[in-house]
Amino acid sequence: MDPFSTEGELLNIHNAFHSGQYQNVVDFDTTALSTENQLPARVLKLRAQIALGQTENALEVEEDTPDLAAVKALAKQSAGDTDAALQLAQDLAENYPENNTVQVLAATVLQAQGHSEDALSLLSKHQDNLEAVALIVQIHLQQNRTDLALKEVQAAKRWAQDSLLVNLAESWVGLRVGGEKYQSAFYVYEELASAPSTSAALSIVGQAVAELHLGRLPEAEAALTAALEQYPDHAEIIANTIVLNVLAGKPSAELEAQLNQIHSSHPLLIDIQEKSDLFDVAAAKYSPKVSS
Amino acid sequence: MQSSPNMLTKFESKSSRAKGIAFHPKRPWILVSLHSSTIQLWDYRMGTLIDRFEEHDGPVRGIDFHPTQPLFVSGGDDYKIKVWNYQTRRCLFTLNGHLDYVRTVFFHPELPWILSASDDQTIRIWNWQNRSLICTMTGHNHYVMCARFHPTEDLIASASLDQSVRIWDISGLRKKHSAPTSVSFEDQMARANPNQADMFGNTDAIVKFVLEGHDRGVNWVSFHPTLPLIVSAGDDRLIKLWRMSDTKAWEVDTCRGHYQNASACLFHPHQDLILSVGEDKTIRAWDLNKRTSVQSFKRDLDRFWVIAAHPEMNLFAAGHDTGVMVFKLERERPASAVYQNQLFYITKEKHVKSYDFGKNIESPPMLSLLKLGSPWVPPRTLSYNPAERAILVTSPTDGGTYELIHLPRDATGAVEPTDVKRGQATSAVFVARNRFAVFSPASQQVDIKDLSNSTTKTIKPPAGTTDIYFGGTGCLLFITPTTVTLFDIQQKKQLAELAVSGVKYVVWSNDGLYCALLSKHNVTIVTKTLEQVSTLHETIRIKSATWDDSGVLIYSTLNHVKYSLLNGDNGIIRTLDQTVYLVRVKGRNVYCLDRNAQPQILAIDPTEYRFKLALVKRNYDEMLQIIKTSSLVGQSIISYLQKKGYPEIALQFVQDPQTRFDLALECGNLDVATEMARELDRPQIWSRLGAEALAHGNHQTVEMTYQKQRNFDKLSFLYLATGDQEKLARMAKIAEHRGDFTSRFQNAVYRGDVEDRIQMFKEVDQYPLAYLTAKSHGLTEEAESILEACGLTEDQITIPSLQEPFKVAHPIVPTFKSNWPVKAAGHSSFEKALLGEVNDEEEVAQDSFETGDHDTAAVLAKDTMEEEEEDASGWDMGDDINVEEDVEFVNVESTEAGAGSSEADLWARNSPLAADHVAAGSFDTAMQLLNRQVGAVQFAPLKDRFLEIYKCSKTYLPASTGLPPLVNYVRRTTEETDSRKVLPAIPRDLETVASVDLQEGYAAMRTNKLEDGVKTFKRILHTLLVNAVSSDSEVEQAKKIIATAREYILAMSIELERRSLSTDTPEGLKRSLELSAYFTIPKLEVAHRQLALMAAMKLAFANKNYNSALGFANRMLANGGSPKLMDQAKKIKAQCERNPQDAIDIEFDQFAEFDICAASFTPIFSGSPCVIDPFTGAKYHEQYKGSVCRISDVTEIGAPASGLRLFVPAQY
Repeated sequence: MDPFSTEGELLNIHNAFHSGQYQNVVDFDTTALSTENQLPARVLKLRAQIALGQTENALEVEEDTPDLAAVKALAKQSAGDTDAALQLAQDLAENYPENNTVQVLAATVLQAQGHSEDALSLLSKHQDNLEAVALIVQIHLQQNRTDLALKEVQAAKRWAQDSLLVNLAESWVGLRVGGEKYQSAFYVYEELASAPSTSAALSIVGQAVAELHLGRLPEAEAALTAALEQYPDHAEIIANTIVLNVLAGKPSAELEAQLNQIHSSHPLLIDIQEKSDLFDVAAAKYSPKVSS
Repeated sequence: MQSSPNMLTKFESKSSRAKGIAFHPKRPWILVSLHSSTIQLWDYRMGTLIDRFEEHDGPVRGIDFHPTQPLFVSGGDDYKIKVWNYQTRRCLFTLNGHLDYVRTVFFHPELPWILSASDDQTIRIWNWQNRSLICTMTGHNHYVMCARFHPTEDLIASASLDQSVRIWDISGLRKKHSAPTSVSFEDQMARANPNQADMFGNTDAIVKFVLEGHDRGVNWVSFHPTLPLIVSAGDDRLIKLWRMSDTKAWEVDTCRGHYQNASACLFHPHQDLILSVGEDKTIRAWDLNKRTSVQSFKRDLDRFWVIAAHPEMNLFAAGHDTGVMVFKLERERPASAVYQNQLFYITKEKHVKSYDFGKNIESPPMLSLLKLGSPWVPPRTLSYNPAERAILVTSPTDGGTYELIHLPRDATGAVEPTDVKRGQATSAVFVARNRFAVFSPASQQVDIKDLSNSTTKTIKPPAGTTDIYFGGTGCLLFITPTTVTLFDIQQKKQLAELAVSGVKYVVWSNDGLYCALLSKHNVTIVTKTLEQVSTLHETIRIKSATWDDSGVLIYSTLNHVKYSLLNGDNGIIRTLDQTVYLVRVKGRNVYCLDRNAQPQILAIDPTEYRFKLALVKRNYDEMLQIIKTSSLVGQSIISYLQKKGYPEIALQFVQDPQTRFDLALECGNLDVATEMARELDRPQIWSRLGAEALAHGNHQTVEMTYQKQRNFDKLSFLYLATGDQEKLARMAKIAEHRGDFTSRFQNAVYRGDVEDRIQMFKEVDQYPLAYLTAKSHGLTEEAESILEACGLTEDQITIPSLQEPFKVAHPIVPTFKSNWPVKAAGHSSFEKALLGEVNDEEEVAQDSFETGDHDTAAVLAKDTMEEEEEDASGWDMGDDINVEEDVEFVNVESTEAGAGSSEADLWARNSPLAADHVAAGSFDTAMQLLNRQVGAVQFAPLKDRFLEIYKCSKTYLPASTGLPPLVNYVRRTTEETDSRKVLPAIPRDLETVASVDLQEGYAAMRTNKLEDGVKTFKRILHTLLVNAVSSDSEVEQAKKIIATAREYILAMSIELERRSLSTDTPEGLKRSLELSAYFTIPKLEVAHRQLALMAAMKLAFANKNYNSALGFANRMLANGGSPKLMDQAKKIKAQCERNPQDAIDIEFDQFAEFDICAASFTPIFSGSPCVIDPFTGAKYHEQYKGSVCRISDVTEIGAPASGLRLFVPAQY
């Protein structure tokens, strides 16, 4: 039986993980779980810890099962030991390509280091693994292949209509496609953000981003301000607030400094720096005929 | 009896005896019921049988169309009445009740009633809505042959073999079946009155009159459409006309002429004529007023049984022993002639009128031609002689007559012409100022006559000539059934001959260079020397034609106005409700005469043919003009362009991916084709794309298409050919995965991988082959182990003599790394024009190949291309691969298909606005655009704006943990999903600028914070410079704000300059005074201008420049404002007026028109040379040309610029 199906014991912890309630996952009481589900639950807890930036536990796990080894690879990646993480991930992908955890975590490591092709070929071996589907969708989106991502989501919807992950993945695609899809994505995130069992920084950011795309700046601002109060150190909230402020013509320098402190390698900052340099190079090509 | 020359047969069918006929009220259809039990539905215009209905047993005699519904009714010898729907082509129901043959059936014009007449001596009325019999009328004591409703009144006329015609009153029936409230007490009393009831007590239908006069049975009866007249036809061979009043009816007269039973008769719907048919095989027309025979037409063998009239048009149909014929009694084409801006034509009343095209005015009648020919025959042709103001009119009466008449100087009414010359001829045309030609086919002779009607010359035309036409000055065109001949009258010599059959009309182009020969179904365009230019065929009849001034022939068929270019390309311009005869086309108007000889103007859209004409003439500018100003996206234009070999132009119009794909393939535009193929994603599409790409040597595209098609064998071969070992290895792996041994073997051979081959042979138990392979490649150990596994020794087997093992050659050049160099797809001059016009900012694709290598590469490419093509022919054999769903492969394919282009790239592609390029991160192209549009050269001040726009172009959506957030692109087109139309959101839109920044600037002015003010206004300029707005009107608004900002920056800069000046020296003081004066020049808001004026006034006054101060005071007073200001101004004015002298002479003339140079702050008087900044419009003295604008800090003064663009129109 699929451990994540609605009757499964792991549904709650799983949903909590994917809606971004990592602390809840860490605190989850797993003693009552059946033995066969102990390992997946442990993996999830470790992953939640990694997501929270606490990699110590995960780094110390023994590599006796591929699942835990995969977690370790992720932890290394997250801790900045990227070469070792890649090595481990590649080994795992080679030896245990059928393992669900390996597929997802090793592919995450591969993709994080830019090996999209390998990540996709590993993920393609999945058997009804929704996490793998979601990851495939994300990779396609990062490659700007919205068409393929859409196909993947539609295929998954056929067998897992109501799953949280499929809904999320559909929203990701929707935010790329735009038009009416913005609104549907908004509904998904709004629903997540408003239900206490799923409300987390992740869902609020999602809601705010959807509103940004819909051009509803005041609503997006309300959501982001509330989120900042609740999660003052969340990089994505800050990044999107910067975007919002600029769009609304408000100052953003303070937030940028804050983001620089929390997450100096955030794509927003890196991108802006690159473009700033690009600007100087490009601008240097022009000069007035007569300097005054 | 001689058949009438005027009757025009339009359609004839061959069938068994036709007993009933009905015209469709709107469509060109006729229903024919046959003696053979069939009902036929014909399109008489096209001459095609549309449908047949065969459910009756035995002859069908009665037939009628419903006036509005898609229904018809039939009655037959099987006693049945059937109601049909011709759309569903089914019999809806059958009305049973008659006890003998049903002779006629008719629908009531408004009520849901059917009237039937039967041999059972009854007439019945049925309600076809509830399918019930509502009235049975008895009284006739023999077969009832015909019964008809009166077109407007509640009357029925019936004809019976009992020799009587009866008129029935059915008003009772109508009352009974209409709303019950309308039945008053009196009505009931009246109906209850036994005197009026018939013998069965039936009051619904009562006999009103019995008309006795025929000596034999009566076959047919008809009401007059408007007059109280009835006509009947009987076996006594007579047609009788009856008249009735409210109280009585009587016989008026008898038409005698039929010499056999008269079968049917009717009144002409519009003219005072009676038409009848009979078993004497004739159709006869009678004058209603004189009751004399007007025309008759005889068939040789067939007796006529029935006649019907079209309810609106001048059309009749008659049924006879072997079918039906549809005919007209007379020609409806009005005789007309065009001279310059005037049309001369003959009306239905036979009046000659003229019509002015320019003024759209009809003249009063000029002449009456009532005496020409017979009264029922309209004139056939009209020829006009402008020199003599004379007309030649021909009439077909009496074997053809012509009349030469001088038109009166003024149109004074329909006067009888006085000086008429006439003669015998069928055709008469003017050929010169004082000569005309007449022709009569009987004598086969053309006479050239002078204006006194005496023959000056006689010409023998070619045998069989049927008509003559004007053939250019001094020439004639002779028309024979198969040829047209051009004849020079002076030289009496035939100049040219062309085989064209059946020409009926000749239309000369306005410049006399071309001529259109119209026959029934063909238009042939010839030059003036009778050389054929083109010909076209129409399935429906061609009626008329006229020439456009640009040399396009506009012609009309029965139902369309169409055009034909000289090269024969033609198309439909519009449809016609009624037939018209074109006489002239000018601009968007087509002038024509309708069948009532009334001039009419039809509006047409000439875009399509003008476009095609421009295309044929390669007039690209005009094409561009047309494309820009009109919507030209019809399928027909696209297929036309494609057909004519302009696929690249067609590509500009098409949206539909399939069509775009086809066109792109045709013009070899692989990029577009690939893009469209992705959208369509069908195997067939990929296969076509692959074939085309292969021909181009674009093997990367080929590879992708094979992947899409899962064409493993071809892929392997492609990798082999391009030397891509790595991918070949992957193919081998895939083959292994798929368990496809053949494919695996192939791949192993391609790769020269002996081990894999041996391994595979072993896997499929082909040990002998495995052994042989191992042995031949010198893998002795392997060979022995195989032997061992099989339990054999080397002695036990015989192997053929081994030769040097074959080694697969590997391509030396790493072809797979890039495509063959292909010449960059050249734009046709049209495309260039289009691109240059629509998007002059678009980057021209760079040729990525270095010119030095080009030649050798091309040669190489050519050679290898040929090889490849040879190989390609062998590739098709691998088509029967087993296409299984192969998960691995799908993903290999998708990753190899590579990353797509991000939305940011699309933005840059979709828009010519700098702001959109900035949002897309394409700063260099954005700068290029700004440079071209407004001459921007110094970008540093724009950096904040650039980064600001870029910063908010993307949002960051956290997705899976452990991976960077998903980037999404913020659009201003939030409703749009079409990737070709999405555009980025740009911060600080026009509204913000107007409502926030501008006010901030004003506030700075008010509060005297000029440094801040300059900054604010410069920021406004920079914000607007890189921005996007949503409409043309907003563009205007933006330009206004730019101008405002310019004026404020200029004003503030002047004042700041003044304040930095020391006034210790006289020069300094003078300059200070000047600057304060200039401060009042820029166009500020009035309140702000007052501040400037106040400052200038005070300074001038303080320095005893009373005259200047007076000027400023006057200006302040003229502007008005707060009382305090006004008081001050008045005071100063009063003081200055006492001594209006300036102590210091400054360069400022308050009465002169001048601008301020924004660099030197000195006046530029109107008329003196200056340069302008392309962005702000600020003016400078000439010496500042080429330096950076002091107002914007960005743009170069006097740089060439195309103008700032802020708005992407929707169709872009």
